[in-house]
Amino acid sequence: MASRTNGDDGKLDRSLAEQFLDVLGPVDRWHDHEHIGDFGSPARVDMEQLLEPVAKAGPVSRLGPLEKVHAFWFAGMSCDGCSVAVTGAEKPSLEDLLMGAHPGLPRIVLHHPVLDLEGGPNFLRAHERAIKGELDAPYVIILEGSITDENKAMETGGFWASNGEEPWGKDGVERAVTANEWVARLAPGAAASIAIGTCATWGGIPSAQGNPTGAMSLMDFLGKDYRSTFGVPVVNVPGCPPIGDNFNETVAAILYFLQGFGPLPEFDELGRPAWLFGETVHRHCVRGAYYEEGAYAEEFGDPECLVEIGCWGPVVNCNITSRGAINHVGGCMNVGGACIGCTMPGFPDKFTPFHKTPPGSRVSTTASRLLGSVIKPLRMYSNEHLNREVRWDIHGDVPSGWASEKSEPGALRGAGHKLYDKLRRTTDTGRQDNETWGKRTEWTQARDPELEPQLPRGGELPEEREVSSQEPG
Amino acid sequence: MCFKTLPVEFDDSGNARLRGGIPDPYSVTTARPEVNMTEAERTAQIEQLVKRNGHIKDLNMDPVTRIAGAMALHVTADLQDGRYLQAHSQAPLFRGYEVILMGRDPRDATYISSRACGVCGGVHAHCSAYATEMALGLEPPPMGTVARNLAETAEMGYDNPLHLYLLAGPDYSEPVVKATNPELWPKAQSWRCPGEKHHGFKTMAEIMTALTPLTGELYREGLQFTRLSREMFVLLQGKYPHPQAIVPGGVTSTITLQTLNEYHARLGSIFDYAQRMMAVWDDIPEFFYEADERFKEVGARPVNMIDTGYWDHYEAYDATYENCNEWGERRWSTPGAIIDGELVTTRLTDLNIGFEEFVEHSYYDEWDGGRYGTDPLDNPLSPYHPWNKRTLPKPEPKSWKDKYTWAATPRWDRQVVEAGAYARLFITAKAQKLPESDFIEATGHSLKLRIPKGRTPETEVEWHVPDVWNAFERNRGRAYHYVFSQLVGLANLLDAYKLMERGEKKVARLTASELDTHVQRAEGRGVGFWGAGRGWLTHHTVIEQGKIVNYQICTPSTINASPRDPWDQPGPYEEAVMNTPILEKMSDPSQFTSVDMLRTIRSFDPCMPCTTHASTGRGTVVREVNTCSCGADG
Ligand code: SF4
Ligand code: SF4
Repeated sequence: MASRTNGDDGKLDRSLAEQFLDVLGPVDRWHDHEHIGDFGSPARVDMEQLLEPVAKAGPVSRLGPLEKVHAFWFAGMSCDGCSVAVTGAEKPSLEDLLMGAHPGLPRIVLHHPVLDLEGGPNFLRAHERAIKGELDAPYVIILEGSITDENKAMETGGFWASNGEEPWGKDGVERAVTANEWVARLAPGAAASIAIGTCATWGGIPSAQGNPTGAMSLMDFLGKDYRSTFGVPVVNVPGCPPIGDNFNETVAAILYFLQGFGPLPEFDELGRPAWLFGETVHRHCVRGAYYEEGAYAEEFGDPECLVEIGCWGPVVNCNITSRGAINHVGGCMNVGGACIGCTMPGFPDKFTPFHKTPPGSRVSTTASRLLGSVIKPLRMYSNEHLNREVRWDIHGDVPSGWASEKSEPGALRGAGHKLYDKLRRTTDTGRQDNETWGKRTEWTQARDPELEPQLPRGGELPEEREVSSQEPG
Repeated sequence: MCFKTLPVEFDDSGNARLRGGIPDPYSVTTARPEVNMTEAERTAQIEQLVKRNGHIKDLNMDPVTRIAGAMALHVTADLQDGRYLQAHSQAPLFRGYEVILMGRDPRDATYISSRACGVCGGVHAHCSAYATEMALGLEPPPMGTVARNLAETAEMGYDNPLHLYLLAGPDYSEPVVKATNPELWPKAQSWRCPGEKHHGFKTMAEIMTALTPLTGELYREGLQFTRLSREMFVLLQGKYPHPQAIVPGGVTSTITLQTLNEYHARLGSIFDYAQRMMAVWDDIPEFFYEADERFKEVGARPVNMIDTGYWDHYEAYDATYENCNEWGERRWSTPGAIIDGELVTTRLTDLNIGFEEFVEHSYYDEWDGGRYGTDPLDNPLSPYHPWNKRTLPKPEPKSWKDKYTWAATPRWDRQVVEAGAYARLFITAKAQKLPESDFIEATGHSLKLRIPKGRTPETEVEWHVPDVWNAFERNRGRAYHYVFSQLVGLANLLDAYKLMERGEKKVARLTASELDTHVQRAEGRGVGFWGAGRGWLTHHTVIEQGKIVNYQICTPSTINASPRDPWDQPGPYEEAVMNTPILEKMSDPSQFTSVDMLRTIRSFDPCMPCTTHASTGRGTVVREVNTCSCGADG
C-alpha cells in the first residue's frame, strides 16, 4: 500500500483504508435484481427471512432496546479457521446468537458466506443496503484473515482476495470486490469493527517474512484514528485459531452493554478483551508447578513443563490453559503442545524456529532448578506422611496389597512427621482446654485397653496418640 | 500398472523408465490425453446455441456460499433445454503459504502450513510433518503413528457431519424442496423411509424438515457432533483447527491412560449417531431417484479418482520414500488411482510420478525447467511435478480464455481425476489390502462395516461401489466414510491401549535438542502422502543445508476445482456441472435458483481456503474408454 501521507502538522492524516477509497472512488450502481431473480437462493428467501418467524415467535420480552443487529463477516487472507472456531463455541453458542435464543441478546443476523442459505448476488443484497444506508438495524463488521496490499495486485490488474462482485467497474461492469474494499466502505458506518483471529488482529501467518501479498491487520488498515459509530476503535480477539468462546463471549459482552445491563467491557491498549487476555498463559498453566520445581520435559510427550522443548507461555497473553480449546477440553500445554505464541502480534516470526527452547527462559529455569532441588524433596517427604491414614500410624502398618514392599518410616522420619503435625496444629483451636459440651467420649477416642482388640487389626496403641482434638479436655 | 498418457513404462520389477526415443517426453504437445473437443470448437458451439435460443441466462454466482472458503461460479444456462452450457469456477483468494515457507527452518513447516486450511487444519500439519520427516529421515515410534491416527479419525468425525448438515444438507431441506421442486413435497410426505429403524424419521418430509438450517433437528445435532469430535481431537492436539502437538518424527502429546479413556468415552457415543447419519443419506438418494430418474445425472462424471491413502499402520510405516509402496499398501485406507471405474494402481510411487500441476489458466507465472529428472528411486519425473514446481504468483485481470483463478491444475497421468473422502471407500473396497480388523472388511466390490454395540445393538452395514456416480452418491459415500473413519479410530484406540500396556509410550523420534542439532545440515526431499476431509493431500518439500528451498501443497479441492488444463479438459467441478440437468421447477426465468448446480458443487464439499476456477462447455465430458496398452499391472 502507498505509505501514509503526513499532513502539515506531521500527523498521519489518512488511513490506508481512506487512501484506498480515494483510489476506488464512490459507488452508486447495484446488482439488477430483476435480472438475477432467485439465482443462488434455493429457498427463494434469505436466511434472515427464513429464521425471523421462528426467532420472533411468541410474546416478546426483552432486556434492552435492540431486537436485532446485522453482522457482516468478511474473509481476507483467511483459512476459515476462525469461522470454524466460532461454530464450536457454546457459551453462548452460534445457534443461540443467530436465533436470538439467549435472554437479553438481540438476534444477530449474520451474513456469512459459509453459513448462509443464499449465495451470489442475493447474498450481497444486505451488503448493498448497508452501503446505501438502508439497513433496518445497526450493523457490525467482522473480519477474519488479513488485509492485503491490493494496490500491489492492482498494479498487474488483479487482486489477492475478493469477496463477491459488484457492478462497480467502468461503465457498470461487474468487478471483483476485495475484502479490503468492503471493509473500507462499511467500517465508518459500523457500530463496531471486530477483528477475529491473529491474521485479522495482527497480520498473522500471511504477513510472515517473505510473504508476497503485503498482508497486514485490520488496525493497520483502518488506522489509529478509526472509531465506530459508537466511538469504539477496532476490537481484537486474537488466536490462531481463536478460542470460539472467547469470540462469542466478547460479542455477547458488548451486546449486554449495549442492551444496558452489562458493564462496559474493558479492553487493553491493543483492543483485546482485557478479562480474557490480561494474564500470561503460563500463569494458569497446568504444568506451571513443574516449572516452579525445576522439572522440565526433555522428550516430546513428557508430562513436565514444556519450556525447554519450545514453550513461550510465560510471555504470551492467552487463556487457553484455563478455558480449554472447546467446551473446556484441550488446551495446548494441557495436552503436551508447547506455546508458540499464536495470539501475539509478534507471531509467527518472533517465535520461530518452533520446537526450540526460548533463549530468555534460561535465567528462570536455572533459578527454578536450584529452588526445586530443595523444595521438591521436602514436598515428597510431606506427601509421604499425608499418604497415610491416622490409623496406619497407630498400627504402624499399611494394609495395602499394592504396597507390601513399602517400609515404615524410620525413627528419624517419624519424628520429623510428628514435629510437622505439631507445627500444623499450633493454632488449632480444637486443642484448647474448654470442654466440648454435648459430646461424650467415643470409644475410639478412649484409652480403654478392653476396647482396643475390637479395632480391626487391633493392638498396641502408641503412647502419645495424637487424637486429642476430640478428647475431652 | 501403466500410464495411458505419460510416456513412462515399467520393467519387470516395477521400476519406471521413460519410453525411449521420445525427444521431449513431458512436453504438453508430446504427451496428450485424448480430448474430444477444443476450446475454440466448444465456444463456437455455445455461440450458435445462444443465437438460436432466447432462454439462455448468463449469471455469475460470486460468492458460492455454504462451502468452505471463497469460490465463484459463472454459468450459462439454457433454461428451456434444462442444461448448463458453460460453467466457470473461480478461486478468488491467494495467501502465499508456499512462498512464505521457502527459505525457512524445516521445523516451521508444520505449524505454518497448518494455516493453509482452517476447515481441516489438522490434516495439513500432519501432512507437513510426514513430508519433513521423510526428508530428515525420522521414523516415528509406534505410539506417535497411532496418536496421529486417533487425531485424524477424530478430525473426519468433525468434518463429515459439518459438510453433510451445515453445508450440503440445507439444499435438501423443506424450505428448498418446497421452493424449487414443490411437486416432490406431497410425495415426500407419504414416502415411508426404509431407514426409519436407524434414524427414527417416518417419512422423507420429516427428514427434509430436520435438515432446515438452524431450526432443524439434524442440522443442530450435526453441529453438536462436530463439537464432540473436536473435543476428541483437542485431547491429543490441544486445539482445533490448528493443532499444537505435532512434530516431524512423531507427536508431542502427553498420552496418559486418561487421554485414551476420554477419547474412548466420546467415541463410544458416536456409533449410534453414525448409524443414523448413514441411514439418512441412504434414504435421500433413494427418494430422489424414485421421484425422477434424472436426479441420477445431477453431478455425474466418470469414475476417475485418486487418493493417497490415509492413517498408517504403526508396524509398517517407516517414513522412507524407498519403502513407501509397502507401507502405503498397509494403510487403513489404501492409496490408489481409479480410471474409468478400474483400479489401476495402489503404489504411492506411481501416484507420485504421474502427478503434475499446470498453471495455464491460473494467476501464476510459468517456471522453467526441471530440477529433478527422477525421484529418489530413479523413477522419471516430469518438469511439472511438485518437486520441480515453483510458486510464482501474479495477480492478473480475469479472462475466461486466459487466466481466471488462483487454483492451479493438478492432473494425474494427464487425466482429470477427482478427490474425495469417498475415493477412500472405492479404492479400499477394490484393493482388498486393508489391515486385518474386527470392524472393517473389503470385499472387492464393497466395504463391510461392523458397528459395535452402543445404545443400539451391533450392526453390520455395507457400502457398495455404486453403479452411478453423482452428487447423491458423493453425499452417501461421505456418510459411510464417517462410519469407516470412526471404526479406524476404534481400531487404533485398541492399538494405543496395547502399546501402552507394553510400555511403548514414546511418541517422537528425537528430543527437541536432538532435533535442533539434526536439522542444522539436513538434506533431502520428502513428500507427505496424507488425506483431508475431501481426500488426497500432498506436501512436497526440498531441504538443503537445513533450509526449506521448495514447498508445494496440493489439496483435494485444488484437484476438484481446477480450471482447464493445457488440453482444454475441464476440471471435475465443471465437468460435473455440465452434466447436470436443470430439474428445478420455475414459471419464469427470474425464478431460476440453480439449485441443481449447487447440489453438484456442494457434493464435492469444496474447501477453497487452500485452493481455486473452472471454465467449461458441454461436449468435453464424453470420454472414450481407452484400455491400457501395456496390459499387466506393473
Ligand atoms: S509449559 Fe509453558 S506455560 Fe506451562 S509452565 Fe511450562 S513454560 Fe509455563
Ligand atoms: S497457548 Fe500459545 S500456542 Fe496455544 S493458543 Fe495460546 S498463544 Fe496459541
